[in-house]
Amino acid sequence: MMSIPFFLLALGLVGAAAGNRGAAFGLWTAGIVATLILFRLHATDSLTIGL
Amino acid sequence: MTAALSLRLNAFGLLALAAVLAVAFYDQLVLGDLPCPLCILQRAGFAAAGMGLALNLRFGPKPSHYAIVILSAVAGGAISIRQILLHIVPGTGSYGNAILGLHFYTWAFILAVAIVIGSAAMLLFDRQFEGERDRPLAGFARVVVVLFILLVLGNGVSTVVECAGGLCPDNPTEYLLLKSK
Repeated sequence: MMSIPFFLLALGLVGAAAGNRGAAFGLWTAGIVATLILFRLHATDSLTIGL
Repeated sequence: MTAALSLRLNAFGLLALAAVLAVAFYDQLVLGDLPCPLCILQRAGFAAAGMGLALNLRFGPKPSHYAIVILSAVAGGAISIRQILLHIVPGTGSYGNAILGLHFYTWAFILAVAIVIGSAAMLLFDRQFEGERDRPLAGFARVVVVLFILLVLGNGVSTVVECAGGLCPDNPTEYLLLKSK
């Protein structure tokens, strides 16, 4: 599951190189959203700092 | 700044991002330092930032492409800040090797800030956005884009080997797919 962002972004990069700008934008968006969801799932420890 | 100079700078920027991913790979594969989940996600942030530079190289410089670079760097930087804060209190340990005195997640934050500043500085030069360009990649730009795609794919494969199909353990000690039963 953690590899999903890389595969989405790699596909997007291939799309960009092949001249498909729309696919590159869509796959970048999906890649960033996947990265942020995985970040949320992993940011579980509480921080021992006072803000 | 002409479009040609902008494209050259974008190509070197993408090469720099490729170098970041390559150094992380070297630390992982040669020095045996397995990336933690947050480290993997910081790499994904750099991979996403590279998309904007690759789009510039293929379709010509556009503000929307620099927006992709900036938003990706902000996402990656936020993840690295989270990891810095986990270890910021003395005595709370650290994760992984240090390079030039700083841990990889601290370098990731510094680089994310540098990427945001660099992209914002590039946006100051309007002349690069004049004219349309939609040409297949060639020469140095093509080599750098292919290299970057291979590094992003390599990160995907190494993450599958390390974490199998699920979430990665917080402190990985072995590659889950290579684990001896």
